[in-house]
Amino acid sequence: MRWRLRRRTRPVQRNNEIFVSGHWLRQAAVLVLFALVPAIGEAIYFRDKVSWQSPIPASELVTVDQARAWGDSSIWVDARPDEEFARGHVTGAVSLNEDRWNELLPQFLPKWSPDKKVVVYCSAQSCNVAREVAKRLRDEAQLKDGEGKNCVFVLQGGWEEWLKKNR
Amino acid sequence: MKTRILTFTLSIFLCAAARAELKWEQTTADLHPAIGDKQAVAHFKYQNVGTTPVHFKSVHASCGCTAAQSQKEQVAPGEKGEVTATFSIGDRTGQQVKTVTVQTDDPNPTQATTILTLRAMIGTPFEIKPTFVYWQSGEEPKPKTVVVKASKDFPAKNLTVKSNSQVFTAKVEPAGAGEWKIEIQPKETSHPTATALMIQSDFPKEAPRSFYVNAQVNPPVNVPANAVATPAKNPAGPAQQ
Repeated sequence: MRWRLRRRTRPVQRNNEIFVSGHWLRQAAVLVLFALVPAIGEAIYFRDKVSWQSPIPASELVTVDQARAWGDSSIWVDARPDEEFARGHVTGAVSLNEDRWNELLPQFLPKWSPDKKVVVYCSAQSCNVAREVAKRLRDEAQLKDGEGKNCVFVLQGGWEEWLKKNR
Repeated sequence: MKTRILTFTLSIFLCAAARAELKWEQTTADLHPAIGDKQAVAHFKYQNVGTTPVHFKSVHASCGCTAAQSQKEQVAPGEKGEVTATFSIGDRTGQQVKTVTVQTDDPNPTQATTILTLRAMIGTPFEIKPTFVYWQSGEEPKPKTVVVKASKDFPAKNLTVKSNSQVFTAKVEPAGAGEWKIEIQPKETSHPTATALMIQSDFPKEAPRSFYVNAQVNPPVNVPANAVATPAKNPAGPAQQ
C-alpha cells in the first residue's frame, strides 16, 4: 500500500517528459477503451448516414461582402430551380441550373469574359447544387481568369445569407 | 473500481437496448438509370418494430430535383411501408447524391430523424471537353479543339456538327475508336458574337442524340458583356442529353 501511494504521487521526470505512474496510465487506457465501444458501434450503425461530399475548399468559397466588393467585375449565377429563381433572386443574377443546363448555359456564357468572376449561389439548405454548377463551369466549360486561375466561386451561406445582408 | 466499471458497462447496454421503433431495410439506395432516362426512383422500405404507432412529422428532400413522399402518415406496430424518392435527372451528369430527411415522433431523439441517401450515376453518351471555346476580341482567329469521347455503352461511329452561325466553322476528325476532335474556328474576331454548335451522333439510328458546344468571341475589355449577341436558338430545338 505504501509503495502504491508513493508511485501515485510521484511522477518521474525523464528527458523533460513526465511519466505518470503505470497505474494511472492503465486506468486511462481502460476509460479510452470504454469510450471506444459506443463510438465504434455508432460509426457502424450510422455508416450510411455520413456526408458523401467533402467540404468546399476555402479557395472556392466567397462571402457576400467579398462578392459585393467585386462589383461589376462579377456575374451572379443562381443555381436554384426555376420556381425559386422566379420567387426572387440577386439583382442581375443569371439562372443556370442543372435541370435545364443545356438550354441555360448558352444564355449565361455571352455575359462572361475572363476578367469576370462568377459567384454561384443556391439555397443554404441545399447548397450542393451551387457546388455542382460551379464544378461544371470549371470542368466542362473550363472557365478560368486571364491568368489561368479559378474564377468560379460558391457563395458562402447562399441565397439566405445574401438576403440577410441586404435587408 | 469494479463497481464503477460494472455501472458504466451496464449503462452502455441499457442505451443500446433503447432501439428505434421504425426499422429501415436500407437507408442508402444506389441507382443506375439508363442513358436518356428522365427520372430515377428509390424505394426505402421500413417496418415499425416497436409497440406504439409511429407518425411521420416530415419527409423533406435536400434538393428541388427530388420529390419524396411517404405512403402513410401513421405506421402501426408491425406495419410495413416505404418512402419513395423520385429524382428528376434533368441535364445532370455523373455521380449524384441526394438526401431525404425523414422526421418521426419517435421519443428517442437519435432515432426520430433518419437521413435517406439516394446515389445515382448518370451516364452520358459522350464526354465533351471543353464544352465552351472562346476568343478575345481582336485575337488571332486560330482554331480551337474540342475532344469528344463516346462511352462504352454508346457505339456511335460518326459525328456531325451543325452550326447556324456565319462566323464559326467546325471540322470533325476521328481520333481513334470512339473518339473525335472537333476544330472550331471563327472567321474573324473583330465583333463579339456567340453560337451553340450542335453535335449529332449516328446512334441510335432511330433517334440520334444531340449535344452542344458553345463558341463565342468576347467583347474587348471594358465593353459591357451584354453587347455580345445571345446565340440564336439551338438549330434542333431544345437541348437533349
